[in-house]
Amino acid sequence: MRDMFSKQLVRLAQEDEKVVLLTGDHGYALFDSFRKYVPNQFINMGIAEQNMVGVAAGLAKSGFKPIVYGLSAFVPMRVLEQIKIDVCYENLPVVFIGDGAGVVYGHLGGSHQCAEDIAVLRPLPNIDIFSPGDAYEMEYVLNKAFEFQSPSYVRVGKSDAGVIHQASIDSSQGGVIPVDLGNKKSIVFFATGSMMVTALKLSKALGGIDVWSVPVVKPINSSEIIHIIEGMERVIVFEEHSRSGGLGGCLAEIISESPSSNAKVIRFGFGEKFSEKCGSYNYLIKEHGLDFETLLSIIEQNGWGS
Amino acid sequence: MTQFLAKNIRKTVLKMAFQGSTVHIGCAFSIIEILAVLYRSHLRYPNDNPNSANRDLLILSKGHGVMAQYACLYEKGWIGKQEVDNYFGDGSLLKGLSDAKVIGCEVTSGSLGHGLSVGIGMALASKLNKLDQFCYAIVGDGEMNEGSIWEGLMFAAHRELDNLIVIVDENGFQAMGATRDVIELGSLCAKFSAFGFEALAIDGHDEAALDHALSSLKANQDGRPKAIVARTIKGKGVSFMEGDNSWHYSRLSSETYNLALTELEGSR
Repeated sequence: MRDMFSKQLVRLAQEDEKVVLLTGDHGYALFDSFRKYVPNQFINMGIAEQNMVGVAAGLAKSGFKPIVYGLSAFVPMRVLEQIKIDVCYENLPVVFIGDGAGVVYGHLGGSHQCAEDIAVLRPLPNIDIFSPGDAYEMEYVLNKAFEFQSPSYVRVGKSDAGVIHQASIDSSQGGVIPVDLGNKKSIVFFATGSMMVTALKLSKALGGIDVWSVPVVKPINSSEIIHIIEGMERVIVFEEHSRSGGLGGCLAEIISESPSSNAKVIRFGFGEKFSEKCGSYNYLIKEHGLDFETLLSIIEQNGWGS
Repeated sequence: MTQFLAKNIRKTVLKMAFQGSTVHIGCAFSIIEILAVLYRSHLRYPNDNPNSANRDLLILSKGHGVMAQYACLYEKGWIGKQEVDNYFGDGSLLKGLSDAKVIGCEVTSGSLGHGLSVGIGMALASKLNKLDQFCYAIVGDGEMNEGSIWEGLMFAAHRELDNLIVIVDENGFQAMGATRDVIELGSLCAKFSAFGFEALAIDGHDEAALDHALSSLKANQDGRPKAIVARTIKGKGVSFMEGDNSWHYSRLSSETYNLALTELEGSR
């Protein structure tokens, strides 16, 4: 997924000299080839995120296509007001990349973990929010983001979670992509980012449940969602993000407003707590109850999988 | 007739403030001469087009002084009489802080510490595009409390943006009181110099001094970004407003409006 990101970025910058990559002194190895092939389009803005976003807005106002890279713990959270006023208000074409979303930086502690980026960006007008789960989804969302029609945010989480798709995703596809369909149960799974792979494993373990991947969290097509959940009793959502304001919250809002659906929405994500201990990615995912075994046992105990 | 007479700009501001029953009169009055000199002698708009790609850029980072800019844009003919007369009317265009959607306003500011960075981005774009273009960014001394300002200054010097001219409206006050009582700023000129700027301190109401400072700084394209620390008086031009920080918030009554207008009419 990171290779795809790096490759797409270099190709884009080589094709278009207006593309500039701004980083807040992050991405040491990730941008090696970018710096090698298009050094003049690379700007290390220093450890100064507020100025970085303001400068990106100014560059965009003057016809450039800025890509702003940071850790998701800092971009968007630390610079949310700059994103809102400097970028979104004028609908400027700035692409934000938030790396290490979720608990990827497990050993570094709470300052570098990010459970709230989707939630803080969702209310901002004009910005698109992408949350790819594998290399093909990364390719798919970058193709959208790199149209530079409006601000966008690409959430980059656990990059080697696994494979979801076997080939490139057709560009005409919407934001919600069917991955495992044809299971005749009154339950459906939605997942985004790293949790897609877990959702697929759960589906298999439970004897087959329809699974939809959501690499485009905003804008989301309400009628498409309502159509998908027609006749369903339960909608289960998985995300490596807070249960508040993320994909689960978004789908719950849509479904609760639908006069035609009585489906219950069950949201799996981070609860209202910070990581308590230091540990590997898998350790922290387990601490937050988002590992395969814990989820399977909750679903089975409640009889939701049948 | 001389364009952008400080007296006329102040009168327009006063009328707008009275019409709209607005605050921030003192904030606008301290930057009148700065804007008058910029609009009269320095800002270049090819074909008088406010959107021309190689126009000079005026970034009003201290958005609270926006009425002064509206008065200049009115004189430019880019804002109509109807908009000035209907200031703060329901559904009207001109807000109480600078807004990039208004013709002639480059940034949305007033949330302080934003405009300068956006201006620096535009100044950088200008360098990358090899345009003959200057970016003038007006910041308040109170605004210098914002950390983002200092991030921007470091970056501008590092990138050698000598097309950037930061003008500090050093009126000595911010919302809650004197800057020296809130956050002592010390010598801003020394701070700018230490950050790699070529900096001058001048009287911000002396138009000849402003004009000369701008010309000499622009002539020196040595890689250093420029700064003018303009010592000003908050509420300048109306005796009972000068140096009285309550005019950050006070609204005009008919009585104070007429008093102020009479005083402005009688001024040079």
